[in-house]
Amino acid sequence: MLRQALGKIAQTLVVLFFVSVASFGLLKLAPGDPIQIMLGSEYSQESYEQLTAQLGLDQPFLAQYADWALRFVQGDWGTSYVARTDIYTYAFKEALPVTLTLASFSLAFAILIGVPLGVLSAVKKDTAFDAGSAVLALTGTAFPSFLLGILLIWFFAVKLQLFPVMGYISPWQDFWGGIYHMILPGLTLSTYFIAMITRLTRATLIEVMEQPYIAAARARGEPSWRVIWVHGVRNIAMPLVTILGLQLGTLLQGTVLTETVFNLPGIGQMLTSAVLGREYMVVQAGVMMTATLFIGVNLLVDLSYPFLDPRLRARK
Amino acid sequence: MTGIDHKKVLAQRLSARLGRRAVLKGMGAGLLTATAASGVPGIARAQQSGHLKIASIKVIDTLDPHFTGFLSAIQIINNIHNGLLKIVYDGENVTFEPDLAESWDLEDDKTHVFKLREGVMFHDGTPCDAEAVKFSLLRVKEGEPASPHAWKLALLDTIDIVDPLTIKLTFSEPYAFLPVALTGSTGRAGTIVSPAAVQQYGADYGRHPVGTGPFKFVSWKENDAIELEANPDYFEPGMPKLERVTFVLMNEASTALAALMAGQIDGMTDCPMQLVDQVDAFPNATLYGEIEGNYTFVGMNCKRAPFDDINLRRAVAWALDRDTIVQQAYFGRAKKAYTPISPPMTSFYDPDIATSGRGQWFDLEKAKAFRAKAANQGEIEATYVMAERGPVGTRIAQTVAPMLAQVGIKAKLELVEPATWLKRRNEGDFDLYDFEWVADLDPDETIYPEFRSDGAWNFGGWVNTEFDELCAQAQVVLDVEERRPLYYKAEDLLMDEAGIAIMAHMPIYKVFSNKVQGFQYIPADLVNLHTVSLA
Repeated sequence: MLRQALGKIAQTLVVLFFVSVASFGLLKLAPGDPIQIMLGSEYSQESYEQLTAQLGLDQPFLAQYADWALRFVQGDWGTSYVARTDIYTYAFKEALPVTLTLASFSLAFAILIGVPLGVLSAVKKDTAFDAGSAVLALTGTAFPSFLLGILLIWFFAVKLQLFPVMGYISPWQDFWGGIYHMILPGLTLSTYFIAMITRLTRATLIEVMEQPYIAAARARGEPSWRVIWVHGVRNIAMPLVTILGLQLGTLLQGTVLTETVFNLPGIGQMLTSAVLGREYMVVQAGVMMTATLFIGVNLLVDLSYPFLDPRLRARK
Repeated sequence: MTGIDHKKVLAQRLSARLGRRAVLKGMGAGLLTATAASGVPGIARAQQSGHLKIASIKVIDTLDPHFTGFLSAIQIINNIHNGLLKIVYDGENVTFEPDLAESWDLEDDKTHVFKLREGVMFHDGTPCDAEAVKFSLLRVKEGEPASPHAWKLALLDTIDIVDPLTIKLTFSEPYAFLPVALTGSTGRAGTIVSPAAVQQYGADYGRHPVGTGPFKFVSWKENDAIELEANPDYFEPGMPKLERVTFVLMNEASTALAALMAGQIDGMTDCPMQLVDQVDAFPNATLYGEIEGNYTFVGMNCKRAPFDDINLRRAVAWALDRDTIVQQAYFGRAKKAYTPISPPMTSFYDPDIATSGRGQWFDLEKAKAFRAKAANQGEIEATYVMAERGPVGTRIAQTVAPMLAQVGIKAKLELVEPATWLKRRNEGDFDLYDFEWVADLDPDETIYPEFRSDGAWNFGGWVNTEFDELCAQAQVVLDVEERRPLYYKAEDLLMDEAGIAIMAHMPIYKVFSNKVQGFQYIPADLVNLHTVSLA
């Protein structure tokens, strides 16, 4: 068990190393120059060269990477070139919680709405309800989330004035305020996942309901709700958790657009402006955090299997 | 050299301010701050109320006035700092008046004497005296690292401190651009920062700006907001009126507009042209905006084929249908340009330019005639580098391309990402591009650094030594009547040789909800909030 865990951690570190080299290299290969961007239109060649040297951007690529990596592993994430922000504070303390909150809300919406809808569709297979939910799910997957976001803003925030247009309040500081500000962005980001989970739940549940143990449960005379919600749903947990873990990447991608539309100061907005401004170190911080998050969640998914399926526990 | 007119006008402006100065002296501002000012600021603060939230949509790079290259940053910086001079607009004329200075006199045409206001303190409690002014000017002129605005003070020879509140600047030549250079706005060179804060924060001053302005810096959260609070000791009595100001940092202008309509914010520091119709139709907000000091143009690479051919460039210049460009690319909001000098430069702009016969305009016959004289008579393919940048993104390129086709130039539109665009433009890797020079208040900054033969911003590489000489000559002439014809001649050279094909002067818009009162519009993209209050 310990060996397995150590192996996983070593694997994670190797992956993180390759991710960091790739993102650093790709951004450096892309044309564009942070100094040109930060100096605006009015600058002299002299101040350009001075600033380049001052920020170490005149060093060769490998030296720049090594310098960044050595500092990074020691916990020194650096200072952004232009705004002189402490990147650790900006990325880890300010941006990450916003994105985590948004992602958790979306996941919660996706599960709380998607699973019941999927179960009902499976139970009422081939009825009007099933057909309706299929159409809804298809629309949900096909609808671009940023457009939905803008429509939600216009309808619920501008016309009806039910929700705020934008902004972020930490739920740790103001719980209800935080939730209130998260409803529209959470819904926007989760539409795709609600639809996906609905379809996935429906398909797997239909399969599960044909298994012998379901027939056995019915034969024992257990009430129908218990058969479905206990025996049935418990057995779709594993594929559901697996897919959710793998789809976390898509979810994190989605935060970029959602955060922009709702003006949430999260990692998505941070990465967008950092890439546009060629803020190499900010991009690195963002990429490392999201990569770690992705790997970490999938590790948790792996570790959760024995809890979700007793047969895996017994085998050990 | 006739410096006399200049001085007379100056005296008139100053006399108009006497009343206000007397009030300030009556308050005994110097005494107030010296005695640790416990109760008095409390009384002053009582006059301040309201929390204004205003969206800032463009990039803010730094709040260090001597290092920023962005007008969106200046908008905020100018609320925290003051300049030696400031820009004043009465609805017709743009003038430059003393701001931190109480008076501004010319001993001769190279020597300027500024008497500073008494008792003005930086937000950190240190005095804003002649030493502090000298410190700021030297920081721009020869500081380490070099300020991108150092060139604005290149002619500054010596700085003498006459007494703690009097400073004498001696220039190596008469310097006509000086009034602009010394404002705290587009000039940036004349913005006065706290020496103590610069020493304390060094390169991080831009995250901890300390000025003398109506608002103090509170905090800056990346991608979120910049917070300011009232400076109760501000030297203009009765100001600021607001207690707190939040600049909400946003990327998406349509979200900002939605937030304005829902009442979540009170204004926008910039309203993109495509949203102006929507704002006009919305009854609870007011649009502020006029044609500002700018011009847009199609730039041609004069250093390589095909546009090293003057006749081909002229063909482009006369082939652009400016009416169509204004309608399609600028949503009908811009004004056709004939030459670079723009309307807010009231002493230099010719209101009858359309009929003066100067500059460039649309004349397809003329364009075709020039095209017939071009060296290359075959079909010419030219790379037009465009990006989703600037006020209207790629709309100009799309509007211009068919016009070029009419004179046998096939524009190959290449869409790149803004950082790539910038790099390619700066390195001359293009045949055509479009750009705008903005926030100009003087003809010198309008054309000289942009088109000087060896100029760092002369990306098209148009070379004309006569042009250089005319601009250099005009730089040291203080008299407007004498200076104006020099710039007209320089402009005419640029237009005739088609170093660029000029397009339009743009309006720059700001929006405030009707709750916001007292905003004073200045056509230099400024958002000065000291006079603003919330109803």
